[in-house]
Amino acid sequence: MTADRARIIRLVVAFGVLIAAVYIFGWYIPQFHEQGTTYLWAEALYIGVAAMGLNLLTGYNGQVSIGHGAFFALGMYTTAILMQSHDWSFTETLPVVAALSFGVGVLVGFPALRVKGLYLALVTLGLAVLFPQLTNRFVPHDLCKTCGTSQVGELKAVKLLPPSWTPTFIKYPDQWAYYATLTIAVIGIVAMYLIVRSRFGRALIAVRDHEAAAETVGINIARVKVIAFATSALYAGVAGSCFVLVKRLATASSVSVFQFSIEFLVAVVIGGTATVLGPFIGGIIVVFTGRWISESFPSTILFWHINESVKNLLSPAIFGIGLILLMYVLPDGIVGGGRRILNSRLRSLRRGKTSPAST
Amino acid sequence: MALFLTQLMNGIGSGAVYASIALALVLVFRTTGILNFAQGEMALYSTYLVWFFTQRSVPVWIAILLAMIISFIGGALIERILIRPVEKASPLVLVIVTIGMFLAINSIAQVQFGNDIKILPRAYPNKTWLPGGVQISSDTLVLVGVLLAECLILYVLLNRTRIGLAFRAVASNPESSRLAGVPVGRMLMLGWAMAAAIGALAGALVIAPVGLQGASMQEILVYSFAAAALGGFDSPLGAVVAGLIVGVAGTMTTQYLHAVHDIELVVPFGLILLVLLVRPSGLFGSRRVERV
Amino acid sequence: MTDVRRGAGARRLRAAALGVAFVLVVAACGSGRSAPTSTANTTPGGSSTPGSSTVVDASQCTSNLTQGVTGDTIKIGTSLPLSGTYSPFNAILKGESSYFSYVNALGGVTVAGKKYKIQLVSKDDAYDAARTSSNVDTLINSDKVFGLFNVVGTKNNLGIRESVTYPNCVPDLVIASGAVQWGNTQYPFMLGSELVPYPDEMQVFVDYLKKNKPNAKIALLYANDDFGQSYRDTLKDLVNNTSLAIVKEASYNAEGSDVKAQVTSLAASKADTFVLGGTLLACPNALNAAHDAGWKPLIYMSGTCVSKLLFGLGGDGADGVLSVTPLMDPGDPANASSAAVQLYKNQVKKYAPDADTADGIVAYGWSTAALLQKILESSPKLDRVSVMETARTLKDVSGVGLQLPGSKWNTNKDDWFIGETFQLVKYNKAAGHTEKIGSLTDLDGKTASLAPKSLLNS
Repeated sequence: MTADRARIIRLVVAFGVLIAAVYIFGWYIPQFHEQGTTYLWAEALYIGVAAMGLNLLTGYNGQVSIGHGAFFALGMYTTAILMQSHDWSFTETLPVVAALSFGVGVLVGFPALRVKGLYLALVTLGLAVLFPQLTNRFVPHDLCKTCGTSQVGELKAVKLLPPSWTPTFIKYPDQWAYYATLTIAVIGIVAMYLIVRSRFGRALIAVRDHEAAAETVGINIARVKVIAFATSALYAGVAGSCFVLVKRLATASSVSVFQFSIEFLVAVVIGGTATVLGPFIGGIIVVFTGRWISESFPSTILFWHINESVKNLLSPAIFGIGLILLMYVLPDGIVGGGRRILNSRLRSLRRGKTSPAST
Repeated sequence: MALFLTQLMNGIGSGAVYASIALALVLVFRTTGILNFAQGEMALYSTYLVWFFTQRSVPVWIAILLAMIISFIGGALIERILIRPVEKASPLVLVIVTIGMFLAINSIAQVQFGNDIKILPRAYPNKTWLPGGVQISSDTLVLVGVLLAECLILYVLLNRTRIGLAFRAVASNPESSRLAGVPVGRMLMLGWAMAAAIGALAGALVIAPVGLQGASMQEILVYSFAAAALGGFDSPLGAVVAGLIVGVAGTMTTQYLHAVHDIELVVPFGLILLVLLVRPSGLFGSRRVERV
Repeated sequence: MTDVRRGAGARRLRAAALGVAFVLVVAACGSGRSAPTSTANTTPGGSSTPGSSTVVDASQCTSNLTQGVTGDTIKIGTSLPLSGTYSPFNAILKGESSYFSYVNALGGVTVAGKKYKIQLVSKDDAYDAARTSSNVDTLINSDKVFGLFNVVGTKNNLGIRESVTYPNCVPDLVIASGAVQWGNTQYPFMLGSELVPYPDEMQVFVDYLKKNKPNAKIALLYANDDFGQSYRDTLKDLVNNTSLAIVKEASYNAEGSDVKAQVTSLAASKADTFVLGGTLLACPNALNAAHDAGWKPLIYMSGTCVSKLLFGLGGDGADGVLSVTPLMDPGDPANASSAAVQLYKNQVKKYAPDADTADGIVAYGWSTAALLQKILESSPKLDRVSVMETARTLKDVSGVGLQLPGSKWNTNKDDWFIGETFQLVKYNKAAGHTEKIGSLTDLDGKTASLAPKSLLNS
């Protein structure tokens, strides 16, 4: 009886949350906010997508990469070049980006098999700083004819309009960018749930937790690792495609690609490793903290007057310190830590009961 | 030939800097198993301190010494206060903590000292000799000299003293060392402290000729990571040799490999990939049981 | 006991779920957002109609043309590197904020008979084009600025072209870049600042060589980005069919400033002339490296490096280096008696005490802010189209900020560049400032024809 009721309650709550989420993300954000905010949310979503992919590698498979900004940039450039110089539509570029980043992911994943742990992090760091040099050297001149001499492939406004097949509530380029990213994010989440709960997902975790043991039960370690790497590259690449719609340009520098890699990693860790939704929460925090700091920062603290320039300089400091503190308080991230705390609260609640409810 | 040798000297000059910072990275990695992304920014902050002292008419060498002492203490405190509480956490959490430090130190330094270019007085006269057309500058000589001195001091300290013995014991097996009565905590602090002091010295010397600003150390840090990885992350000797290799590879490709102009980084990272494929623990690294 | 509590909890949750459903129903009935101020729902693009008297076509604009003007304040936005390798450009902000503080203290700028205070909103982009683009989005749509001012960087401004052009019509005024792309007639809402256009720099130097060193063998160092490539492409173009020759070229990574190996390689080419198409710390580093190599060519250095600080860092290598500037050198004692220089020094000391008033980068910020005031005050009406039209039809503007005496800045429908009147200068290390060489160079209206077409329309 109580178990049934509990299940019903849980269903109702889950349904309510789902409806609320659908409303907030599907209607409230893109329909009631000005362009800048919609773009910002789209940014949070694509960082979430890339982080979710990285989480498959880092959280579920235990491989640390600080080079996923390179796959992100790969997706970005592929989409931008196809849209700008070859007149493709955004959606048409996605399969190409997915295939390409998966393929490159396999290519990079194989050598990555040899190196482990932090060494892998360093090899991928090389990827992150190298990739923009390659694009700067080769893309403007040989591939993207209409990009001129520019490192920046900026897209003509007309290419960013919502396509004709979209429903009428998608009126403006920012809404199109948002809904496109949202759709990709939802597909990404569903796919991730399926992956994590599949045989392959269990194999990933087994390899992370004990490689030798995983091997003895017949898991092909190399295959699992390479596929994990390539899948995470695919997520990063598609997220990079969304970047083009949101920022309306493609650009990559060693600094920015490294920064992306770090943002993804930070989003994974503060959201919660090995959780499906954690990276999204991490992405939202990464994107909005900077804006929040610059908007709500007081212009005087006691007698210290803080001008715009100092405010700009201080925001990384606040973010950095916040990051460190978060690692002390919730080393398993917001979702992971939240779940842990919630479970222990529930457990202590249940302890007061005579018969523990089945879960 | 003179041109070749000149570029070799250029490469050795920048390589010596990468080697110094790589040495600092290795010291931290050996003791606490951490990739310290904040190493460059710690050196940056120390260099700002040097500038700060020289502004108050402290002689340069004294200013560098003061900054090294402060960095030594600061490094130890960072280990004790920031790292120790998360010592047992996953490597990923540690990476994030050092990234947090990277962001915080960089921006605090710029807020505190201002984000314009600072000019550091040189600690030695700038001279260039041209024996047989080969260009040798005092910058290169000093950087190489300092690197050699660092190596010597570290060698003596680590291999000829009781502290060094304890330090190495902690680096290779903290648990047994603890059981044997070695003050593990203090040794970990020592690792960070030495790394910070080395970084301070390298930073002050390399930045003096080019001007100090917020991003001064970032490019150097990337190359130093490359050097540390190439050398094998736990080998000080490896860091030094690899630092020089990375430096020389950079100048040589600029001079002779036009196919890779603008993508000089291909060479050091190509090297790393090759080496790691053959020897996954780097040129000089020893195989090590991973901390998980 | 616990059961009761759970029941209560469940009721509360159900109520919450109902509440959510209710909100949903209500919201679904509510209308969507109001039309954004700037969207691309009409066909964009289109160049100025040839033959018409105006450059800017107001009929293509759909945005609120007086956005950012509230009461007696004009809100202006800027984005520039305050962190990262290019952070030394923050000196520009010091100069421009000082100027606006100074003008505001006097009551503000006068547009069409009314006084307005200038409010400058600045954002850090670390010289990253993607961040510039986000900043500009926020500035236009959230901060609701009237227009953009002195946004730093070639690629950074290239990346926001579509955001400021028709139908958004946001003036991107006095861009801190001398690239020729600001002459692309498809984008009438972008206008370069008084910085000397890079082709003009190359033209004046090539002319100088033709006269003084007709058989010069040139070695070229350039940054491997849009900025550096402007120098390379125009120099190559201008050297064609002359007795001058580029004997060796090398590029450096624009994200760093390490140029030693490149300069060694250039020095070995035995070139007798060295063109330095880099900026900030790469300039002094290259000068030092050339000096250390015992290489003593005739050196021309980018006008973006004309700064006391950068010359100072160049040490002995900086002596005798040529460059151009559209402004008076505030560090030159010969200018100390000028009222403009005195005003500049006093006000910057007052409002930005940590800025070095002798530095050319601060002076650039100050003067560009003065140019903005001039443009706003010349406009008959305070709306985006009128202001842009005014900026495109400047006539004999003089005495702005530290503008050189005798220099006149003009723009018109066929001339899209301001800083075409400038001074060739030479750095004197012993004196610690630049010295004029010859008289003012006036290339008014010629920039578009000097620039390689591929670059102009890219």
